Amino acid sequence: MATRIQFENNCEVGVFSKLTNAYCLVAIGGSENFYSTFESELADVIPVVKTSIGGTRIIGRLCVGNKNGLLLPHTTTDQELQHLRNCLPDQVVVQRIDERLSALGNCISCNDHVALTHPDLDKATEELIADVLGVEVFRQTIAGNILVGSYCTFSNRGGLVHPHTSIEDLDELSTLLQVPLVAGTVNRGSEVIAAGMTVNDWTAFCGSDTTATELSVIESVFKLREGQPTAIVDDMRKSLIDSYV
Amino acid sequence: MSGGRKRPAPAPFAGFSPFARSLLFSPASGYCKLPLPNASAAADGPHQENAGMPPPPPKRAKQAEPSSDDEERHSSDADGASGSDSDSSLECSSSDGDDASQELETVQADFAFFDPKPSDFHGVRLLLKTYLDSKPWDLTGFVDLILEQTTVGTVVKMADDEEEEGEGNGGDKGDGGNDDDLFGLITVLNLGRYGENRCIKDLKEYLLAVCGNKDSEKKLKSLLEEKASSVGLLVCRRFVNFPYEMVPKLYDSLFDEVSWATEDEPTQELQDSFRFKQYLLVARILERKTNPKHNAKNNKDDDEEPVIYPKLEDEIFRELSSWSFTFPIRADQSAQQEMKNYKEMGLVMCVKAEAIPKFRKRLEALVSE
Repeated sequence: MATRIQFENNCEVGVFSKLTNAYCLVAIGGSENFYSTFESELADVIPVVKTSIGGTRIIGRLCVGNKNGLLLPHTTTDQELQHLRNCLPDQVVVQRIDERLSALGNCISCNDHVALTHPDLDKATEELIADVLGVEVFRQTIAGNILVGSYCTFSNRGGLVHPHTSIEDLDELSTLLQVPLVAGTVNRGSEVIAAGMTVNDWTAFCGSDTTATELSVIESVFKLREGQPTAIVDDMRKSLIDSYV
Repeated sequence: MSGGRKRPAPAPFAGFSPFARSLLFSPASGYCKLPLPNASAAADGPHQENAGMPPPPPKRAKQAEPSSDDEERHSSDADGASGSDSDSSLECSSSDGDDASQELETVQADFAFFDPKPSDFHGVRLLLKTYLDSKPWDLTGFVDLILEQTTVGTVVKMADDEEEEGEGNGGDKGDGGNDDDLFGLITVLNLGRYGENRCIKDLKEYLLAVCGNKDSEKKLKSLLEEKASSVGLLVCRRFVNFPYEMVPKLYDSLFDEVSWATEDEPTQELQDSFRFKQYLLVARILERKTNPKHNAKNNKDDDEEPVIYPKLEDEIFRELSSWSFTFPIRADQSAQQEMKNYKEMGLVMCVKAEAIPKFRKRLEALVSE
């Protein structure tokens, strides 16, 4: 299910939050509304943690993570690091890395199996990503943009990329990532996909400017609609036994 | 945070938007002279680094001659954000290498005024993000309202953008972000005509809620309710580095369009909706914090201005207004060194329509100084 939300009149929800299959990080500040929307969707399933990174609220763009781990930039303070280690589940490895390109969320995009990274990332960082996040790393560009973390977002079930991605690139990326991909926009035509939305395997949060068309594309490519009770009634009807004769 | 790690410089705005890139890839055909009157340059200086607006391109234009060389050296800027910004943008900026004392780079830019169009959505939304405080309101609806009113209202963009779009190639322009690069916006909305729209309702509610002064509250209430059909909400937003010479022209174009609308609009009702008797303005100012400790060393404080107006014409408006009130802004305050003695306040003013010609004269005088 995709939900529309905003952070202090700002539709770039992917900037102020980071959603994975094992946890969710949310920025401090903003109204309680932002936090409570996440809580109401996710509270029973995964922890929702309020945090800042390096004293800033743009946590979604500074960190990158999946169910196996979380990577933080060198600007993260010791308190923030400790706070995250305390709040996140034990199986999530929280690591602060020394990388010149400190906006990790803009440079790296990943799911639980594969990661796409900025072509200029350090070799050491690439190894750390493979290690901590448990993923296979590919250096790529998206529609000629090196900030792959900003212009695409993908979960284990599907992905959305920059609208100007060519068909060949889409096919190539889809093969690398092993998930279906679609080129589209979010927040009423914004090309910065990952800033405008955040997604995991069963839910997505998009900026409130996202049109109904964009939302339906998101729900279909990330296969979010199938979680609905109606799926059981409509698709599985024939296999259900209603009554015994 | 005492963790010992330093904050990174704020992420450069150019990372997401072609804003800075388009400014530097600006057309070389013709150029506008942008000499700044010293008065406004000095006044603009301290609050230009205010992080309330996206950071401006590294330097202002000081001379008009084009030069052909790429510039490698640039004066280091106190604002860390432009440091990383300039690295990628330097190859396009040109400056006069001979003049050793010349520390500023020349940027050539052609600005043009356009009618609002639906494709300006993102640019206008960006400019209006800080219009009210951080409390959620129907900003999207407000932007849509402004873009629908094409007869009165102006947006300022780079001069070349419109021609590219006119070629009818749909969304296939090389740089898809061109149409987003708005530098300024001015419009006036009739509060009575749009009174039923959710955004205007939200705005009225907000203003009544933040008004602390009983007296102003009464006047504001009457303006928003009984007199709404003759009240225009004057919205003027622009980036911090917007060349000040264009501001009087911006206001001129607005008031001219308003008077043309009173004749050109198709129905009598619409024509009347532009016969404004009063204008309502919502602006931002910086007020000096009154610190009890400072009163002891009061000599130091006398040098500082009690109020700073990021938009100079707001000072003129305030003097000509029939009434006004200020309210505190709760959103994140700027942490700039020069600004730490000031706190950001909102300012609401009501200006009678008869005072407008006086305003226009004073604005011209201010710029020609």
